[in-house]
Amino acid sequence: MAESSSPAALTLALTSQPSVPGMDPHHQDDCPENGLGRGNGETNGPPAKRSRPTPPLSPITAAEIAEEFSHHDLSVARINNGSFGSCPGSVLSAQAVWQRLFLRQPDAFYFNHLQPGLLRSRAIVKDLINAADIDEVSLVDNATTAAAIVLQHVSWAFSEGVFHKGDAVVMLHYAYGAVKKSIHAYVARAGGHVIEVPLPFPVSSNEEIIREFRKALDLGKANGRRVRLAVIDHVTSMPSVVIPVKELTKICRQEGVDQVFVDAAHAIGNVEVDVQDIDADFYTSNLHKWFFCPPSVAFLHSKKCSSSAPCLHHPVVSQEYGKGLPLESAWIGTRDYSSQLVVPSVIDFVNRFDGGILGIRTRNHDKVVEMGMMLAQAWGTFLGSPPEMCCSMIMVALPGSLGVSSEKDALKLRSLLREEYRVEVPIHYHRPKDIEAGRQNGHSGVTGYVRISYQVYNTVDDYYRLRDAVHKLVNDGFNCGMLPSK
Amino acid sequence: MDGQHDDHRVDANGRSQEEREGPLPKRPRPLLASLSAAEIAEEFSHHDPQVARVNNGSFGCCPASVVSAQIRWQRLFLRQPDEFYFRHLHPSIDRSRALVRQLINAPHLDDVSLVDNATTAAAIVFQNVAWSFMEGVFDRGDAVVMLHYAYGAVKRSIKAYVGRAGGHVVEVALPFPLSSPDEVVAEFRRALELCRADGRRVRLAVIDHVTSMPSVVIPVKELTRICREEGVDQVFVDGAHSIGNVEVDMQDIGADFYASNLHKWLFCPPSVAFLHTRHSSAAGRRLHHPVVSHEYGNGLPLESGWIGNRDYTPQLVVPTALEFAERFEGGLEGIRRRNHERVVEMGRMLAAAWGTQLGCPPEMSCSMIMVGLPSGLGIASEKDAMGLRALLREEFKVEVPIYYNKQSPDEDGEDKIGAAAVTGYARISHQVYNVAEDYYRLRDAINKLVRDGFNCTLLPSKEQR
Repeated sequence: MAESSSPAALTLALTSQPSVPGMDPHHQDDCPENGLGRGNGETNGPPAKRSRPTPPLSPITAAEIAEEFSHHDLSVARINNGSFGSCPGSVLSAQAVWQRLFLRQPDAFYFNHLQPGLLRSRAIVKDLINAADIDEVSLVDNATTAAAIVLQHVSWAFSEGVFHKGDAVVMLHYAYGAVKKSIHAYVARAGGHVIEVPLPFPVSSNEEIIREFRKALDLGKANGRRVRLAVIDHVTSMPSVVIPVKELTKICRQEGVDQVFVDAAHAIGNVEVDVQDIDADFYTSNLHKWFFCPPSVAFLHSKKCSSSAPCLHHPVVSQEYGKGLPLESAWIGTRDYSSQLVVPSVIDFVNRFDGGILGIRTRNHDKVVEMGMMLAQAWGTFLGSPPEMCCSMIMVALPGSLGVSSEKDALKLRSLLREEYRVEVPIHYHRPKDIEAGRQNGHSGVTGYVRISYQVYNTVDDYYRLRDAVHKLVNDGFNCGMLPSK
Repeated sequence: MDGQHDDHRVDANGRSQEEREGPLPKRPRPLLASLSAAEIAEEFSHHDPQVARVNNGSFGCCPASVVSAQIRWQRLFLRQPDEFYFRHLHPSIDRSRALVRQLINAPHLDDVSLVDNATTAAAIVFQNVAWSFMEGVFDRGDAVVMLHYAYGAVKRSIKAYVGRAGGHVVEVALPFPLSSPDEVVAEFRRALELCRADGRRVRLAVIDHVTSMPSVVIPVKELTRICREEGVDQVFVDGAHSIGNVEVDMQDIGADFYASNLHKWLFCPPSVAFLHTRHSSAAGRRLHHPVVSHEYGNGLPLESGWIGNRDYTPQLVVPTALEFAERFEGGLEGIRRRNHERVVEMGRMLAAAWGTQLGCPPEMSCSMIMVGLPSGLGIASEKDAMGLRALLREEFKVEVPIYYNKQSPDEDGEDKIGAAAVTGYARISHQVYNVAEDYYRLRDAINKLVRDGFNCTLLPSKEQR
């Protein structure tokens, strides 16, 4: 992207007549898609682009990929796509067009362009996730917001006596920290009883997870309690493993759990997402992690409000309140909705790859497993889970001599890698529960894991740099005790 | 975050040390000459030049130099997001908060949070009230008072949170047109008395500083004082339009909660607002952002500073926006004053041209004013108002919101100011990019419609949703 920081140059860029990306090319810029967009501009809009990839005549080349991500700091071995995702240059350009369109004439944008654009994005997401109805698809900022929406509803249910004080909500021990806090802020505060499912790590099979989950459900139902909600990660964050959500959801139904919320923050573009197949009540995933959207946009899939499905509300209430979550979420006051509008441009991008998004995630998975195994072998350690329980991320044990003995150590070691070696990788501190068992499994001394990601912009060199950095630290006799205390 | 030994520190404009020409000035550099008309036009040349944009009030505006700064921040994130998150985000938000604190004369930085917009701030305040009802701190039936002209979204939010949790919602009827702030004070007192007569405690009063539609400046300082006298627990001033538009002084107004959008009249991009909590307010310490994340329990400013991965750049360009304002004579105060003078002048020009009147005396207006539309246009509903607005946008390329005034005239068929029943008002705004021509175009468009015998029954009927 051409860099230009002078207002004059930017002005030049801003005043060029934008053509809106992802819109029907037959429509002119200032002609509303479907008659006068009055009120809040809800119109039918032109049909959404199909998200099924037609095989590209020639797939995107390595040079083109590098160009698309040339805005990344190229001196950094960026093997942490999982935390903040990535966005290619062509999608950023499309986003800039939407942003300019708003700045140019915001009222016309609000009345004529915003709602049709959001509807188009939602239609694409509906196809991507195999939802039955577009009314089940809402766009929100991120999975953290989606969690707040679901949990606020549970909170009301407790406060309004629909759920009884002491009824349980079950979550995984490895649920994302923010979601755990949200469960306490909304559920525990309103009188719900929160149960954590301890999960083994390293993990070797789905059965281990299922066993612990069943135990937790039994606990939840003890003393005549009901389990009102199960919060299940599709792909846990730290440590990262793929959870058998379809099976766990089925078990929930069998065991009389009222509702299931799948927090799939990492899922879309990373693992297969079929909401009808998984059949949870609520399912959310971020599109800015593995689906190439700019920060930030996520979808929340939930059944339409009815006698059998609860009415969810966006916590930021505006004039669309009561019209269903998709419409409520589509206007939560003046803000920049452009990240939600570029989904069609992302489809264009992924379809330039062989096999589209399926091809991308398959190759990402294969490469991250390959790199993970390379690192484990180089360091004399092991993987945190078998390859079939990981996705485009995998946990690799760090040599025990590094002496990661706390969360703080993990963070400091991560900073060290960033600053001294320009390697970006998150580090998980794993408190060894059972030292003896660990020793027997050959896990002796391991307390730290790196979570490596693989996305289309990564090259093997990134992982060699991580390998070599850790080697150097080990050879220099480094351990976390030497890090300065902040 | 230790930035002192850090070579990759960025300044308030998002420039890294490599890009900067010199040290970041602690205060805005005083300039020898203020922005010329040509420079102002350049800063806003991304606006659609064909449109007479007399509606700054709805969506605000953002000059090119601030947009540039925002892009630099966005690129910094995209370049290395982990580094951005661990090193730059928090100090940069703090820098913005510190400037806001100064601007609004708030005594403590800890009392200043940045959120998306006033709608979000309202949700924060009302969710807290809902908890108070549900946890028995307030009793079912205790009242929350709001103005009839409270913003539609805020009204819904009150019902969604307070009404749902068992609170009794009372609307203060406000007359319009208005002839003096005393009318507002009288109605407000009446509403509080009604609650007292009913034996209801008033737990919260929600008072607009500048109402949206119709737009008038409300005497918030006086109303807040009355609330204290009358034993109202908490006062929330919804100042969505205030900052950069009217004077905003937290210590002077003395409300428990005060929110204002920085993207309306303070040149920030969409979107960023502040929410200020009075230091002594016990309720203030219990406020939470509804999107709960890692910072939950560490105070609203920190909670709001991280609500999951998203684009925080609108919050980071506040220093650049203020630098922009300082380039005008008299800075922000000069801008406000001139905007107000011009909008009153243009409002009077229009009222004279149309044979109508202003919706309130000039001293009750700010950078926006309501101007009566000729009654011959026959605006008879909200739908008509919206239809006429769309017509003006599409046929005349004039952007102005239209208000349908439901107030019924008195027995003489006249409203309180004595004019023939005017049912529609245009809310005109004046911001630094506006020129007189914008308002002449509005004048002429309306005059043409009247001449052509147009009335709202001729508008195409809207398709049913």
